[in-house]
Amino acid sequence: VTVQATLAILVFAGAYVLIATEWVHRVAAAVGGAALMVLIGATGSHVAFFSEETGVDWNVIFLLLGMMIIVGVLRQTGLFEYLAIWAAKRARAKPFRVMALLVVITAVASALLDNVTTVLLVAPVTLLVCERLGVNPVPYLIAEAMASNIGGTATLIGDPPNIIIASRAGLSFNEMAANLAPVIVVLLLVFVGLCRWLFRRAFVADPERAAKVMALEEREVIQDPRLLRRGLIVLAVVIAAFALHSVVHLEPAIVALLGAGAMVLVSGQSSQTYLADVEWETLVFFMGLFVMVGSLVNLGVIEQLGEAATSAVGDHYLVAAVGLLFGSALLSGIVDNIPYVATMAPLVKGIVDASGGASGAHALWWALALGADLGGNATAVGASANVVVLGIAGRNGHRISFWEFTKYGLVVAGVTVTLCLPYLWLRYYL
Amino acid sequence: MLARDLAEQVPVVRRTHNALEVARLIASLRLAGVVVADGRGEPVALLQGSQVLRIVVPRYVREDPRLAHAYDEAGADELCAGLGRRTVGDLLDDDEVTPRELPQVQPDDTLVEIASVMVREGSSLVVVRDDDGASSGVVTLPRVMAAVLRAAGREDERVAHTLAHDLADLDSPHAPIETPDGEDDA
Repeated sequence: VTVQATLAILVFAGAYVLIATEWVHRVAAAVGGAALMVLIGATGSHVAFFSEETGVDWNVIFLLLGMMIIVGVLRQTGLFEYLAIWAAKRARAKPFRVMALLVVITAVASALLDNVTTVLLVAPVTLLVCERLGVNPVPYLIAEAMASNIGGTATLIGDPPNIIIASRAGLSFNEMAANLAPVIVVLLLVFVGLCRWLFRRAFVADPERAAKVMALEEREVIQDPRLLRRGLIVLAVVIAAFALHSVVHLEPAIVALLGAGAMVLVSGQSSQTYLADVEWETLVFFMGLFVMVGSLVNLGVIEQLGEAATSAVGDHYLVAAVGLLFGSALLSGIVDNIPYVATMAPLVKGIVDASGGASGAHALWWALALGADLGGNATAVGASANVVVLGIAGRNGHRISFWEFTKYGLVVAGVTVTLCLPYLWLRYYL
Repeated sequence: MLARDLAEQVPVVRRTHNALEVARLIASLRLAGVVVADGRGEPVALLQGSQVLRIVVPRYVREDPRLAHAYDEAGADELCAGLGRRTVGDLLDDDEVTPRELPQVQPDDTLVEIASVMVREGSSLVVVRDDDGASSGVVTLPRVMAAVLRAAGREDERVAHTLAHDLADLDSPHAPIETPDGEDDA
């Protein structure tokens, strides 16, 4: 290992510690780390900007940007508020049924949108329904944060780590959905059952309060039906284009950008409105992160680690998958899963490439995705959606402590991640 | 005109007053807001009507305004009735309601200086206070507007009436109002 490589590892480790501990803002840590990589000569403009292997993966950045714009328009339609109120009324305002339907809606929405956006849309309407119902909203909000993390695991666009994995592994929307969605459907059903047990004290029905929920007027929240119709058509076309990748030959990032353009055109909204939901901080964070990890790739550090991992794994891919599944879940419960997956993806790619196409090796991608995504449920800070829900709850006078969330999170993450093990074994190693 | 010329005595409320009382005062006198005074009658805060209104609308509706459309008439009325469970003190302690500092001007400040404070603070009321901290009343937006019209030579009878009469002098059963139990914790 050269002096330059040692310095690069130190910069990377230092930035990682700062991101994990939040001693400085994560964007400052990632961009500062990237700047130091440039200063020590670990990367340069060509390496950082024009190679997805050693620099910024623009497929990921533009896919995120496109989806953020699509969501920015869609959320103006009131669709999610409508669905949540409709579900509460459909459940006849019976508390557990309300929670179950809200959990399913959140999970499905999370599979198509990013998790944070989904909980931002669902949490306020949940507070409204719970206030009318006269029940404590905390269990409902916790369940929704977890449902968003579970549902987001199902597709390529559901969770940022999946976008990184798909880009690095060259996986299509359909491949991701075919390998992740089946187990997520099962996990969602199990999760609904877990909610019945975990939050059993929260389901107290009151006919008088139920009538107040039934009096809510869900149709009124859709103020612009024309925008809703147009937005849904564009979203359907975008999802279809993701799924028909083998026919239309458009990369997910291109589909998302074209979809965003179409959404802007049909909505007729101002740039301030449709750009309001673009999280520029997140995009810059990704760029800084990619430059840092890319610098390690550029200097051959990741390749050496990959070779070490490959020789350690040998052809014991099941053992590697188990380690990756639980190790990823453990780490993702503690630190942000985005930098974790950005770092692990080149390593897993090294093992998969070295295997010569062994299906057992390829399944490591699913172990990484399931572990990193589902592990986020373990603690209150394990996923961005959890942090956002805690914030919304606190602002509305329902403080959820770290441990209150975590005591449920550990059970849910433990059960869901463990159930992935028989799935991986039966489907890829038996 | 200077701030001392425009200063008037306005109805004041105390921390112990019910928020509905404030709403009644604002509605009956068509005020933009009310002054909250401490036990000595010194102004400690200004409560604007829109700030009182914020309490009626739950935070989650403010974060997602589309939800306001979901309430039927009975639900909306029930929400508004919730204001009766809050006191002026509750409103002042709410970090979303309390103005960070009491907008104030000096007695010899000009119309432009008063207007500049109102614009900067987004307030339709400012307190007139001298260097010793003694308050000589409040300047309200209608009085500032009336002074602007007079300065522009467009004064009429109603404008002159606005400048000549204090709000507290109005023939109203609500002005000024006293704390119900004489207790004050401002």
